[in-house]
Amino acid sequence: MSIPTDLIKRFPWLPSLKLHYSDIADKLPSEFITDIFSKSDSQQISECVFIIFKSAFNNLEDIPKMKEDNLTVYVYILLNILVYALNNKLITNRIANLYSKNVYSKMEKDNSESNLYYICLDLELRVNFYDPPIKFGNKMLKDNREKQVTNFAIYYIDYLKLASNLRDDYRKLAHNPLQNGYVYIQNRNLMRLIQEYVRNKIIIEETEDKASLKSFLEEVLKNQEFKELYEKINSIWTKRKEDFDFTFKIDITGKTDILKLYPPCVIEILKKAEEGQNLVHHERLFIVWFLLSLDYPVEKVVDVFSTLPDFDREKTIYQVAYAKKKKYVPYQCSTLQSINLCMKEKYKDKLCLEGYGSVEPSERKKLKHPLAYVRIKQYRDEKEEEYLKNKAKRVLEESQKQNE
Amino acid sequence: MNDFIYLKRLFQAYYQEKQFDFPKVSSFNLREFGLIPWEKKVFMKRHMSFDNLDNLRNYLIKDAPRHLYSSGSLYLKPDAQDMKNKEYQGCDFIIDIDVDHFYTPCKDQHDLWICRDCGEEGTGMPKICPKCKGSKFTKVSWVCDQCLDAAKNEITKLVFNFLIPDFGIDEKHLKIAFSGHRGYHLKIESEELRKLSSEERREIVDYVTGENINFEILGLNERSNIISGLLEENIGWSQKIMKKIIEVLNRPESVIETLLLDKNHFGFNSNVVTSFLKYKNDFLDLITKGERNVWAIEGFGLINWRKLLRGMVKQVGVKIDEPVSIDIHRLIRYPGSLHGKTGFKVQEIELNELDDFNPLDEFDEKLDPIVFKSKKKLTQKLEIVQNKLPISKIKGESFGPYVKGEKIEVPHHFAVFLLCKEVAKTN
Ligand code: SF4
Ligand SMILES: [Zn+2]
Ligand SMILES: [Zn+2]
Repeated sequence: MSIPTDLIKRFPWLPSLKLHYSDIADKLPSEFITDIFSKSDSQQISECVFIIFKSAFNNLEDIPKMKEDNLTVYVYILLNILVYALNNKLITNRIANLYSKNVYSKMEKDNSESNLYYICLDLELRVNFYDPPIKFGNKMLKDNREKQVTNFAIYYIDYLKLASNLRDDYRKLAHNPLQNGYVYIQNRNLMRLIQEYVRNKIIIEETEDKASLKSFLEEVLKNQEFKELYEKINSIWTKRKEDFDFTFKIDITGKTDILKLYPPCVIEILKKAEEGQNLVHHERLFIVWFLLSLDYPVEKVVDVFSTLPDFDREKTIYQVAYAKKKKYVPYQCSTLQSINLCMKEKYKDKLCLEGYGSVEPSERKKLKHPLAYVRIKQYRDEKEEEYLKNKAKRVLEESQKQNE
Repeated sequence: MNDFIYLKRLFQAYYQEKQFDFPKVSSFNLREFGLIPWEKKVFMKRHMSFDNLDNLRNYLIKDAPRHLYSSGSLYLKPDAQDMKNKEYQGCDFIIDIDVDHFYTPCKDQHDLWICRDCGEEGTGMPKICPKCKGSKFTKVSWVCDQCLDAAKNEITKLVFNFLIPDFGIDEKHLKIAFSGHRGYHLKIESEELRKLSSEERREIVDYVTGENINFEILGLNERSNIISGLLEENIGWSQKIMKKIIEVLNRPESVIETLLLDKNHFGFNSNVVTSFLKYKNDFLDLITKGERNVWAIEGFGLINWRKLLRGMVKQVGVKIDEPVSIDIHRLIRYPGSLHGKTGFKVQEIELNELDDFNPLDEFDEKLDPIVFKSKKKLTQKLEIVQNKLPISKIKGESFGPYVKGEKIEVPHHFAVFLLCKEVAKTN
């Protein structure tokens, strides 16, 4: 079964793009750019790309409707080239978020199971397609029964690859109907997973290789029109940037390595926020409650979110202040583990993995709460300081003795 | 210490004799090996690798460590000292089921603990010392048929209630082994599972244990004083839980009562249980007919319902040692090697052999983990060095209980077991 060309035109992130548009997908970026800007509709393409950037910088929820649907392929490729050229995590994440959200709403508007099926096939997702849809369960309140039906079941490995990153309780495998290796999934939820795929696809790692980036830039900026677009984007970014360029300074006690006091689950969220990655609901709640429990002032906590794609300062201030008033207690480790926010494995953190209290493994206590992590680390730090102080004192005394 | 030299020689002789039956794990030369030698004070040696089975066999014959492990992971450079340099290629999905990690009633008889703070002794699995409230214990865990049956039951649940029907895993990818002590390992060898990250593994673990299930998501909720619950027709955990409830409620009333009161299961107080039993038939009727979804039992609010469901999940879910499945850099016992705390063999078994497999008294010689059984009925004289030892039943014969200082004469295989356990010495 081969995928309709029309679908690739509208969803150019599909792997088959390469087959159907080999002439453009295989070109060197500089060739592609020359090509685009010699086309008659180059003006429109670059306008579309600019709108996407502008929307992303302005925290819009979706890309404004554009009529140039037949230009989507060019827009997508140009967008990727720009993301690479700009080489800025905050920008990349914003674009990836917005673009993938837009993909979701396009699929939703499409409301076509067969298109969705083609997309899955093209992404090499193993899915079962049921047409007509099959029933996999019911929802029932009192005696009012509502059938749950779907066109799709997705292989659990593919499901995990896309869903476990979303850290959403509803998407936990244990909360979903799994049978014979396949998870029954409603069309909308499947679209959400595809959105995640697209988001990941746009996020290319920020390149460390400054030399090759530089030569890349030199090459592509030779094109005058491209250069103009690039600079236009850069200039609105510089203006917007100030609004959310509060990098989180965790320094409240004056110690610079205070990050070491925080458990992996906290560090991970702070890191994501710093890079402008979207945070899911649980992540937001947890980090707010956690920082508030450590007596961070509201504005400091709000700053953590200033880099997020959907940041709204006033709203956030209100929410954080409310949380402070309510004195919520941050999640404990077991809860964080269940919602996939525990990062002890990823960070190979000794305290989290092995517990504390004794050198003998069988006698160690398990870490139960991220706040306990901070306490234990603080305690250890103090002890070490004391030890160093005492040591310094001893050395001093020794030397004095020798002097006598 | 002399006894360790003796045991090491026994192990060497065993490896020498069985060298050509020694199994080879898949992707052998990509595995990291680790071992614990007999010499006390030497911790685990890791980051070893063997190019081929011959090298490993020769090593075992020459050095016969107390414990031998290999990694679930595959590495291009398994012997690199640093994880970063090993060039990780993937990891089998491993599930460890060990009675050490869950409660069995018989442990109250045969597992001993000694408080390190006050010297108090007792049996079972206390969290704190009843005398001084200390939490440091020396433990002597014992093998017994009931415990091993409980472990086997968990493996059976895992395979037949989860891995095959839900995950659709092919039997031929399952490798099961008796651990040589109080449990079983199960390894799923498949290319696609090997690529899973720790986070993705955690999702599978949560699925088979049911541990972090949120009942609200499955349908439990309260609206204007009416509670609706889960539905049996909903594939997945709802169905598992509801089937269990129906099964339990069809048991005799006295059995249900005991179960609901039992602290190790539901732990309800007697008022709640009385109320539940009064309405149980109506409730059973309601959920089997499935015409209405209104869970109404006097004294049952969301809290008690959750507690009931949690108790059901405990019955349905598999008790596994979670970190083993999630951590991708673990080592597990090498099949065919000897367990240095029992002298039993880590015995691989096929799924269809599992049902009849009886580690402490196995008839099929090929599957028998007790390898030091002397054909000539050799016996050995030992002196007990542990304060108290429980009764042991091995190879159909009962031994003990013993007390410290007792001089005994027992068959060779049991002597090896006591020496490995370090609870007796040779005279
Ligand atoms: S163990 Fe607890 S503190 Fe450590 S990362 Fe996990 S959730 Fe955070
Ligand atoms: Zn004590
Ligand atoms: Zn037992």
